[in-house]
Amino acid sequence: MTEYRGWIHQRQKELMRQWYARLDESARTGWPPAICLMISGNCVEVLEAFGIVPLYPEVNALQLAIRHQALGPILAAEEFGYATDNCAYVKADIGAYLIGVTPTGGKLPRPALVLCNFVGCNTYIKWFEHVATFLEAPLYVLDVPFLRDEEPSPADVAYVVAQLRELVQRIEEITGLRFDMDRFREAVRCSQRVEELWSRIKYLAQRVPSPFDAYFDAITLMGPLYVHRARPEGVEFFRLALAELEAKAARGEGVYDRERFRVVIEGPPPYPYFRAFRDMFARWRATAVASTYSTVGGIWEFGFRHDPEKPFETVALHMLAHNLTNRNYLQRYDQIRRYVQQWRADGVIIHFVKSCRLFSAGQGDMRDYFTKVLGVPTLYIESDLEDPRYFAEAQIRNRVDAFFEALERHKRASAV
Amino acid sequence: MRLAAGVDVGSTQTKAVILVGDGKPRILARALVDTGADVPRAAERAFRAACQEVGLDPRQIGMVVGTGYGRYRIAFGHAQVTEISCHARGAHFVFPQTRTVIDIGGQDVKVIRVGPQGEVRDFVMNDKCAAGTGRFLANAAEVLGLELEEIGPLSLRATDPVKLTTVCTVFVESDILSYLAHGRRPEDILCGVHLAIARRTVSLARRIPIEPAITFTGGVARNVGMVKALEEVLELPIQVSPESHFMGALGAALFALERLGLKSESSS
Repeated sequence: MTEYRGWIHQRQKELMRQWYARLDESARTGWPPAICLMISGNCVEVLEAFGIVPLYPEVNALQLAIRHQALGPILAAEEFGYATDNCAYVKADIGAYLIGVTPTGGKLPRPALVLCNFVGCNTYIKWFEHVATFLEAPLYVLDVPFLRDEEPSPADVAYVVAQLRELVQRIEEITGLRFDMDRFREAVRCSQRVEELWSRIKYLAQRVPSPFDAYFDAITLMGPLYVHRARPEGVEFFRLALAELEAKAARGEGVYDRERFRVVIEGPPPYPYFRAFRDMFARWRATAVASTYSTVGGIWEFGFRHDPEKPFETVALHMLAHNLTNRNYLQRYDQIRRYVQQWRADGVIIHFVKSCRLFSAGQGDMRDYFTKVLGVPTLYIESDLEDPRYFAEAQIRNRVDAFFEALERHKRASAV
Repeated sequence: MRLAAGVDVGSTQTKAVILVGDGKPRILARALVDTGADVPRAAERAFRAACQEVGLDPRQIGMVVGTGYGRYRIAFGHAQVTEISCHARGAHFVFPQTRTVIDIGGQDVKVIRVGPQGEVRDFVMNDKCAAGTGRFLANAAEVLGLELEEIGPLSLRATDPVKLTTVCTVFVESDILSYLAHGRRPEDILCGVHLAIARRTVSLARRIPIEPAITFTGGVARNVGMVKALEEVLELPIQVSPESHFMGALGAALFALERLGLKSESSS
């Protein structure tokens, strides 16, 4: 299968290695301090203002899964008492602490603070409470109100800004570090640049053929996006990534020799079978031209940017309104509809995650909306993002194959 | 004589159909074997048995399309098509007015919306759970000490069907034993079993609009009790062909014939 494997993938690996090396250093020497936080609508800029290294339990969990190491920790967590239908990210993460496993084999630091930047997923509150208990670290729950209307109210923004300011004080008290406003603005400026570059990369997928896969390749870019967004090396990475993909687009190169299908994918991938899952689409030369999963950390392709002139306010706005998980289902429908229309997709793939009821529960209706209301061919498949026991390869392949067989016949009939 | 074959390697049984394609395609031969553990061998056995039935040399078959879960394991096949596309195609061939296909096989249930040309418009399936499939019926028959062929006709004699609390293929056994312990008659229990599957299938089918005519395919379509239960729950008539069990293989053979036609067009 021809797939894009360029500089971006190599550099991404180096950047992630550097991040794990910083965490290892923090674990061994206590410096730099680490703060545990969640990906969705993360406020990594605040940490960067202190020179604190972010520690993302989700990234650890998915790294374990992609390296086929998740089942041991999951079983350990179940033995400990977590139910089979608990979030598998939680179980892999807690289980890894229980049996002393890390994705790279290096050490993970005891965080100076467990920051539950609660954005949309209420499971995180319990998860982070448990992490704080296991690691005997202080917990700060940053309460982000769910986005109830199109835009957050001024009171919502003020509420989150007040918490961010309080968070800054708490970090100062715990670490003894002084908050540096100039450094904060610089971090926000880096994020703003990365967001602009990332957004331009995403728009390249509107080209036919698309020069990259906005699901599988986007996941490669998501690591640096969350870990390095507020740092100069993040800006440099995304600048070069854009240049490489623009050059590819200028040469008319797609992900495959001849792009046959363009799809939008909703839901995270089955990380324990990432390769096998990708191959199912590669077999049909189907490129994802957009995905909702790549907007968990932030939705920037529709114009939102952090602003160094209003750093606290835009960090709050990002957490409240410009990430996938804090928005409602109808807003997600609309996001996917825009992708289908503007990125010229042939269909939608919905991947239901068994252990994440919160974000998967309404996907049956989502399927109905796209097939019945909009007439967009939509495939619904089920497995899990972390637990390998839920992936039935033959069954999923069967559905994927049948979906593309039908699309192909439809295309052929329309061409006559 | 243009000859094409379809081989459907299912979880329980493997079916083969040979078509002759001059004029309107016509079924020449069919064969059925248990799949067992050796999938490539089962495919070959079914294919050879179908050839032998009409005295054909397998080399005379111009194109073979494989379908079913074992489709990629058919060493002699020229192409693979999913059984979803094949059942739609086969059902449309037998009943051209088909717009909905309900296929109940050994371990899955599929509901397929079909277009006027036999093309798949949409489909839904059960996921990673054999509740309400052929396996469920097989377990029920086993608990009652009956042959699978007996349970459909027997269920038609029910006067007071039981209400099953589960469609779980494993827990159905304890449910049935409990009804037997309470002195309920096997025909009433079996009718309850069929209705439980029908209700589950219809609720799945309602995820896509059910449009008549409805064609019931797959091995379970041979069960008259299941046909009656589905009609009762759907409140619509359903069509069942004597070829229902071979519908996947028939659809695969039709795809093979189509590809053979394309091949001869491009080479002429």
